[in-house]
Amino acid sequence: MSATSSAKSDYLLLFRGNVWDRGLSPAQLQKVVSDWMAWFERLKEEGKCLGGHPLEDEGKVVSGKQGRTIADGPFVESKEAIGGYFYLTVADENEAIEIAKQCPGLEYGAVVEVRPVAEVCSIKERAAQIGQMATAAV
Amino acid sequence: MNTESTTTKGEYLLLFRGPHWDKGLSTDELQQAMDKVMGWFEGLSARGKVKGAQPLGAQGRIISGANGGLVVDGPFAESKESVGGYLLLQADNLDEAVEIARSNPVLKYGITVEVRPVLAECPISQRHPELFQSAKQRAVEADQLLASAAA
Repeated sequence: MSATSSAKSDYLLLFRGNVWDRGLSPAQLQKVVSDWMAWFERLKEEGKCLGGHPLEDEGKVVSGKQGRTIADGPFVESKEAIGGYFYLTVADENEAIEIAKQCPGLEYGAVVEVRPVAEVCSIKERAAQIGQMATAAV
Repeated sequence: MNTESTTTKGEYLLLFRGPHWDKGLSTDELQQAMDKVMGWFEGLSARGKVKGAQPLGAQGRIISGANGGLVVDGPFAESKESVGGYLLLQADNLDEAVEIARSNPVLKYGITVEVRPVLAECPISQRHPELFQSAKQRAVEADQLLASAAA
């Protein structure tokens, strides 16, 4: 197996769940939003977060041959829906996880997915491996 | 209710779901598909539509619970829903973003592309404008105070 292709140690944090704010008091809402903004600004100042954005609940899901099927995204009431992302540049996965643990939405039920950003598409890597095996067999 | 969206500068995030579309393809088919995808991507880049794009590694963690008390390995390998990569698109509107998503050459192998408008502001503060008006107002007042102090 070749070395992993995430040499830069970039990670994407995907924030899942867009209904966790329901039922919070105005004071709790204000606190979690200002804590979240402060967290984002601090990570940017530290050079650990290169950017991030919330995503609108509405959207489209495109699938099928030539993208024939276009559905409205079922994002409105979902614990799984992705509500936003941060792009991190950090030392390693542990640091990315430690940062994810600081997410102010966690105590209200938000979920953070931590994913390494790959240099090369894994399918391209698999294709190259298949190619090598074919060459070796000849 | 303010329903006017505050999308940032016409940015849309395309999330590619179903990272195992290559299973069952022959080497030739796979090579052709990869060439087409690269051509598609280069074409979009040349037109200035791409603000960023990366594949994601299949490894990863899911963090939940207060103070991130629960850390589990993500089940990304098996899931058709899992996100295999993303493309941050610059488009005129949602229709153009959807058209671009539809032109992805590997849709026919079963991937799904989620098209999401990127927001300038947190949707929570959009849902509760009354709560955050005051914070904005305070920031404006603070700026004015600073400006008058400097004058």
